[in-house]
Amino acid sequence: MTAASLELVPPPRKGFFAALAPGGVKVLFALLAVGIAFLFAFPVLWLVLTSLRPPSGVYFVHRGTEFTFHNYAEALAQPNMLRAFFNSFAISTLATVLSLGVTVTSGYMLSRFRGPVPNAWFSVIYVLRCVPYISWVLPLFFVTRQMGIFDTYWGLLLPHVAVHICFFSWIMKGFFDGIDPSMEYAALIDGCTRWGAFFRVALPSAVPGLTALAILCWLYTWNEFLFALMLTSHKTPILTVVMAQFVHELGMEWHLMSATALMALVPALIVTVFGQKYVIRGLRV
Amino acid sequence: MAEVVLKGVGKCYGPVVAVRDFNLAIADQEFVALVGPSGCGKSTTLRMVAGLEEITSGVVAIGGRVVNDLPPKDRDIAMVFQNYALYQHMSVRDNLAFGLRNRKVPESEIAAQILRAAKMLGIEPLLERHPRQLSGGQQQRVALGRCLVRNPKVFLFDEPLSNLDAQLRSQMRLELKELRKRVPTTSIYVTHDQVEAMTLGERIVVMKDGLVQQVGSPLDLYRRPANRFVAGFIGSPAMNFIDARVAAAGDDVMIATEGLSLRLTDKVAATLRKHAGNAVVMGVRPQHVMLDGAGGGNLLRFQATLSTSEQLGDQQLLDARLGGTLLRVSGIDAALKLADGTMLTLAMAPENMHFFDAVSGAALG
Ligand SMILES: Nc1ncnc2c1ncn2[C@@H]1O[C@H](COP(=O)(O)OP(=O)(O)OP(=O)(O)O)[C@@H](O)[C@H]1O
Ligand SMILES: [Mg+2]
Repeated sequence: MTAASLELVPPPRKGFFAALAPGGVKVLFALLAVGIAFLFAFPVLWLVLTSLRPPSGVYFVHRGTEFTFHNYAEALAQPNMLRAFFNSFAISTLATVLSLGVTVTSGYMLSRFRGPVPNAWFSVIYVLRCVPYISWVLPLFFVTRQMGIFDTYWGLLLPHVAVHICFFSWIMKGFFDGIDPSMEYAALIDGCTRWGAFFRVALPSAVPGLTALAILCWLYTWNEFLFALMLTSHKTPILTVVMAQFVHELGMEWHLMSATALMALVPALIVTVFGQKYVIRGLRV
Repeated sequence: MAEVVLKGVGKCYGPVVAVRDFNLAIADQEFVALVGPSGCGKSTTLRMVAGLEEITSGVVAIGGRVVNDLPPKDRDIAMVFQNYALYQHMSVRDNLAFGLRNRKVPESEIAAQILRAAKMLGIEPLLERHPRQLSGGQQQRVALGRCLVRNPKVFLFDEPLSNLDAQLRSQMRLELKELRKRVPTTSIYVTHDQVEAMTLGERIVVMKDGLVQQVGSPLDLYRRPANRFVAGFIGSPAMNFIDARVAAAGDDVMIATEGLSLRLTDKVAATLRKHAGNAVVMGVRPQHVMLDGAGGGNLLRFQATLSTSEQLGDQQLLDARLGGTLLRVSGIDAALKLADGTMLTLAMAPENMHFFDAVSGAALG
């Protein structure tokens, strides 16, 4: 048989999907995708509905037709709420900036240099990483008290930054491992110092990873509860802690909590979406 | 423009010795190729000249100045890397300008230099693109351009063509040669490809295990290899090596191995006489073995059985069995039909035979 006489027909389909009409596979997967999406969206949807119901309706979200925006106003009117928003935002942003400043250099050192200093540093952050998160809290409580920074910005900021450095230095090292060092060698020959090669060549190449890390870092601090609960009090209200106070001895104010949670989602979304878009676009032409 | 001198240069990574006692004086405007198998210390040597690697022992001087303690930026060199090492986040134009801007060259001058280099390399239309929008060959041209614009004292190349496909590689090889005529800067060119080294290098340094094996012009290395390693490394297909024994009987000096006994004539005999009774390695290039070598009275003839033949189109390669070894013969007429197992009469000229010490591998003579 010559090649020309070969008929080009798709091979017959076999198995489970063959029983479906043509195009049926697509429909099936579309349904599956919708189903999975719904599974993830459902809690958020429930949250939205709860936040729009009057207090009497929170346990009957699926029934009743009474909707209101009053919960949002009431949540915002809580003492400390606006300050909590501001504090959380400020601390998340500061923690991100400070910890990334350190992480970038420490990750670069771990990736590019060998010797006693990088080895010791590596060991330190490795050991600290192995300590369970929760066991940091009590010592930190006493330490911040001793230092007189309990319930201040510094009292929450420094522990956060320390944790981030331990966790993110490793990730940062991974980013730099993925960047070809000969680019920096070329920069050295082209007239840069070691620092110059780092700032002008290695760092710009790490920006996509760095952005992702910054967003991660910011969200982590924004959502963090344990440190905030233990290391702050009335002077420095933090959003997650204030939100938790809707659960108290008189009952649970789900409607207010939902409204606050949704409002807390907004800055997080803005940081994620715009942070990513802006930086990535700045990088690509 | 400058000469480069390496005197007793060595490099250790802890217990690992990468380069030992490297001595070489490179003249102004000379093009030296550094060649050797993987891991022999070529890149390490080059990087020591560049200042990217600390020098463990010895002295490196560029243009009469010892540069051991100078950072790379003060050595006035330019380097092309195997993987191009272009700045990914900058346009081609900024890549070229980077080194000049660091040296505070006025922008008008920079623009002129970029234009000159871009014209020379044919990359003018690419200037506004980013490196990731270029093909491998284009990226390598930009990397060359980055060196050209700087007008450095020395060019250093670390396997610049090895990431390109075979066709592009031979084309770029020619372009490099052309470029060289217009910009005759002192150059050190590292490669593991002996063809590249032979075609580009005015002088070749062959290295192995961190040690220089031989320094010489391409023809020197081909005709008078200093040892068995150089003999086998330079030339393609590689030289045949046959273990043999020298015997002296009266006036005659014989070289003998399984299935072969040759009487050597005057000049070769004289050099080998003092090794009588010793085991030696005889070397002959595939190109220098002839089939039925007609004429030429002083040709040494011997018999061998054809084991396999390889058709290359323009010529055939033969593998002939001679006792326990396979002897490769090249340059055989492609039209010739030879059945495997045929008894062949081969011939070679005494002056094309090389002899090496069986133990040390050093050339005898
Ligand atoms: N940072 C390092 N630490 C330890 N050993 C090293 C280091 N860099 C190189 N070496 C060793 O030094 C020797 C020479 O390496 P080099 O890179 O100079 O080889 P090369 O001739 O350039 O090989 P290739 O053709 O593969 O590039 C090798 O044996 C290598 O293992
Ligand atoms: Mg190398």
